[in-house]
Amino acid sequence: MEPHILVIDDEPQILRALRTILTAKQFQVTVASRGEEGLALAAAQLPDLVVLDLSLPDMDGVEVCERLREWTQVPIIILSVRDGERDKVRALDKGADDYLTKPFGIEELLARIRVALKHSAQAQSQVTPQLLVPAGPLTIDLSRHIVTRDGEEVKLTATEFKLLVYLATHSDRVLTHQAILKAVWGSEDMDHTEYLRVYVGQLRKKLEANSDQPRYLLTEPGVGYRLLSDS
Amino acid sequence: MWGLGPGILAAIGSFLCLNYFFLPPYFTFNIARPQDLLALIIFLVIAIVISQLLGQDKQSIASAQAREREATQLYEVSTALTGLLDEAAIAQILAKKICEAFVGDEIELWVDGIPGSTTHICAGEPRLASTRPDLVFPLATARGPLGTMHLWRKGKPFTESEKRLLSTFTGQGALALERAQLVENESRSRAIEESDRLKSALLSSVSHELRTPLATIKASISSLRSETSDLGEEPRRELLAAIEEETDHLNQLVGNLLDMSRIETGSLDPQRKWNALREIATGVVERMRQVLQRHRINLDIPPDFPLLPMDYVLIEQVFSNLLSNSAKYAPPGTEITIRVRLHPDQTALVQVINQGPPVAEENLERIFDKFYRVTAAEKITGTGLGLSICKGIVEAHGGQIWAENAPGQFIFNFTLPLTWHGSLPQIPTEV
Repeated sequence: MEPHILVIDDEPQILRALRTILTAKQFQVTVASRGEEGLALAAAQLPDLVVLDLSLPDMDGVEVCERLREWTQVPIIILSVRDGERDKVRALDKGADDYLTKPFGIEELLARIRVALKHSAQAQSQVTPQLLVPAGPLTIDLSRHIVTRDGEEVKLTATEFKLLVYLATHSDRVLTHQAILKAVWGSEDMDHTEYLRVYVGQLRKKLEANSDQPRYLLTEPGVGYRLLSDS
Repeated sequence: MWGLGPGILAAIGSFLCLNYFFLPPYFTFNIARPQDLLALIIFLVIAIVISQLLGQDKQSIASAQAREREATQLYEVSTALTGLLDEAAIAQILAKKICEAFVGDEIELWVDGIPGSTTHICAGEPRLASTRPDLVFPLATARGPLGTMHLWRKGKPFTESEKRLLSTFTGQGALALERAQLVENESRSRAIEESDRLKSALLSSVSHELRTPLATIKASISSLRSETSDLGEEPRRELLAAIEEETDHLNQLVGNLLDMSRIETGSLDPQRKWNALREIATGVVERMRQVLQRHRINLDIPPDFPLLPMDYVLIEQVFSNLLSNSAKYAPPGTEITIRVRLHPDQTALVQVINQGPPVAEENLERIFDKFYRVTAAEKITGTGLGLSICKGIVEAHGGQIWAENAPGQFIFNFTLPLTWHGSLPQIPTEV
């Protein structure tokens, strides 16, 4: 069956473009131009994925996100205009899975949709999480606490490993600084982004071919990090 | 000792001495000859008259001296007030000068109606201001009242001449206040004028800059949609690439305008976090590969360079604007270097060095002004906002930005503070 995507955006032209493009790409598309309408449509027939604009006429997109998360884990991809780092972070912290900045390339959106759908399918079918996370030449073995690069084991410190495990268990998703800091260092250290800078830098040196042009451990400017996996 | 009393006393005393020692019969107060009596009386009258004249002379010298002192004080007040444009400072100087004029007296004064003015105490304890003031002077000019001066003095009331002096002082103060307000009004209206001028410059620049990409997009799309024209595969791809590039360009323009208006209204609020310059710079270079493809990029950033408190996205914007400016002006095939060093004054010095043409020394500062262009606007695209946005962002971070010519090079420099609220980043040690 075709995956069902609900698009909530108040711009008629964006809705028109997304409906045309996504339908052509073999998705079943429902559109809503208001937050309440979107929530009602989602409750009537749970979509496989929600594409959500942050600025809606009747309510804040972050609130839509929050209300959806009260009862469903449907993947949510945020669309927002440039310069809304704070809003993006808020939405991600309220349970959104990913975000795209308007204007965006359609290939980018399709790639994000595919990743989100794959992850949600995995989450539904598998009870145990994936234990081997492949990312290019890297393999992260979550059960044995081993990271290999081109088959050779890479020595990581305890904190580096903890950080990598968190990124790998949420691979391909944007993780905010706060979320990572809380998971790895605990809630008291949630403001210390400097820890992250240092440890991500160290991880890149050990794992990436060129730490200045990371291909797997990616920076999301002003928001957080993302581990790009092969899954 | 002078005046009528002492004068008459001295005249009578010398009259008696003359009579006793020099008029026969000697050593008595008797007078034998009538003409001696006449001489004595004339002597007495002259002595009294002279003593009077001397007394008056002395008095006029004293009052002349007092006037001179007043004039000096007045001169000092007006010199001290010259060039002062801050109303609180004017009130302060006025108070200080009054204290100097009444040195030793316990005086309190307060200038009302001036922003930021406080009670001023010349000597003694601050306790008088709760009572009714002894004197109140309006600070007024022909244009109307500007404030009021309240004065208290412990012990003695103010004399008429002191009141006169104080009133001249407050007159000077009022004039200084009026001057300050006039200057402020003038600069405000000049700022409004300037902002009007900028707005129309912005409008003309923006409409030109927005229409150029729109023209490309419109032309390409109508050609692609046209059923009569039979384009080959290659031209189709060309047109589609042009459309995508031009939309990116439009997006960048809109972003620049937003940034500029945020800087203008002072609502640019950097979300400072500890960030690595190397990470930001490499990210920008990666993202701008398309724009920078005709130049060689050289990154000279020490890998262990300390983290700085920066807004990742805004500093990214600074790099992106400086790099695209460099790519625009430096000839293709040349090198663009990003160099980061610790500056001796405990800041980070970032340099974006290109091999573009020098800018005349007198224009080096102006290139950071809005809409300023070194070359004719037709030759180079852009809103003329990029560098002024860089300046706004760097200054919002507490840094400075400037440009310089070097042999064969053109260098953009900017500094960023190493500390945040006085502290350095805390790096946890591995346990």
